[in-house]
Amino acid sequence: MTTIADIEEMIARIGIGDRKAFASLYDATSAKLFGVCLRILNNRAEAEDALQEAFVRIWQKADSYAANGYSPMTWLITLTRNLAIDKLRARKAPADDIDDIPDLSASGPTPEEAAVAASEAARIKACLDELEADRAHAVRGAYLEGESYQELADHHGVPLNTMRTWLRRSLLKLKECLSR
Amino acid sequence: MSQADDHDEDDIALAGEYALHLLDADARLAFERRLAAEPGLRALLRDWDEGFVALADDVKPVAPPRKLKKRIERALFRASDPRSAAPRRGFSLGGLFGALTAAVLMLMLVVALPETRLTPPGPTYTAELAADDQSLIVRARFDRAANALRLDRVAGDALPGRVLELWLIAEGASAPVSLGVLPADQRATVAVPDDLIAALAGGTLAISDEPPGGSPTGQPTGAVLAVGAVTTL
Repeated sequence: MTTIADIEEMIARIGIGDRKAFASLYDATSAKLFGVCLRILNNRAEAEDALQEAFVRIWQKADSYAANGYSPMTWLITLTRNLAIDKLRARKAPADDIDDIPDLSASGPTPEEAAVAASEAARIKACLDELEADRAHAVRGAYLEGESYQELADHHGVPLNTMRTWLRRSLLKLKECLSR
Repeated sequence: MSQADDHDEDDIALAGEYALHLLDADARLAFERRLAAEPGLRALLRDWDEGFVALADDVKPVAPPRKLKKRIERALFRASDPRSAAPRRGFSLGGLFGALTAAVLMLMLVVALPETRLTPPGPTYTAELAADDQSLIVRARFDRAANALRLDRVAGDALPGRVLELWLIAEGASAPVSLGVLPADQRATVAVPDDLIAALAGGTLAISDEPPGGSPTGQPTGAVLAVGAVTTL
């Protein structure tokens, strides 16, 4: 089983140009990262492009990873998610072949993920539960679906500025809860 | 979450919006400019990223199509393929690909230019790299004016279908750093990146047997054929 320490080691080796480590990291993490791309883009071809861009970026930026203080999976997922959302924002009309994708709905984390992230996961989820349900839903929508303020406002049937105010207040409450 | 305690509410919310990717392009760019200058803001963003990432636990892994890995590796590594790399003064950059930053590569192009600058003061270095059985002997002399090693291969050659790659092992270092693949010519010049010049003092040069284009891993993969300690003159 690949541990977090293994992934950290792979990233460090990629930072000095180790292609074997790059291949190992791809094998260990591409399914998770592809899942993130698919979740945001709902389109296989675009998700493949996003994953490619993510791994190119990982190769290019691995040498600065150690200095940024991120845990390895957070770094990989954040980098990938941001690229996928860039792609989402760049396209005009939303693609709609979600039906092609088998069962992307929530499933439990793998044992490995659970072991690593259990406490943080419990924390963010518990903190989201302290928010009003629709506001927690908006935060999840922004994170997991890459929804923009406009899309969140539309989905929740509120004006854009109202959504912005909601969300900023929710973020402050979340922060307060996470800092406890 | 402790590092962000002294941040004002605007920055806390702003960093959260950035982490969620809710800012428009201009605001995003402005935030990134601040990030570059403000370590406290980077810590705040990291807290958000680490906090939110647990939401991705609910994203089910999906194996990407098999062809994608090849496609990515092709996109990344084709540039260092010796079949497509343009020869640059007989020195292949292939072995250094990825191990050095673009800045260092630029530097090497600069030092490969005609020697118009004055010779800076400082020690110079020589080494004789030899196989135990003398089947490969390469003499190296550091040319301070060019920031390059002048190499003279007085005996031996690469194996058929293989190349010779030059490595520098700094004193006390655990791993060698590639100085590049040696050209087929008997005499060759290999630029030494500025940040490695100091490592020549007390260092060791080595030559390994590698596939065309140089070591794919950034570390020697084949047999070490010749070794020599660097002498300071």
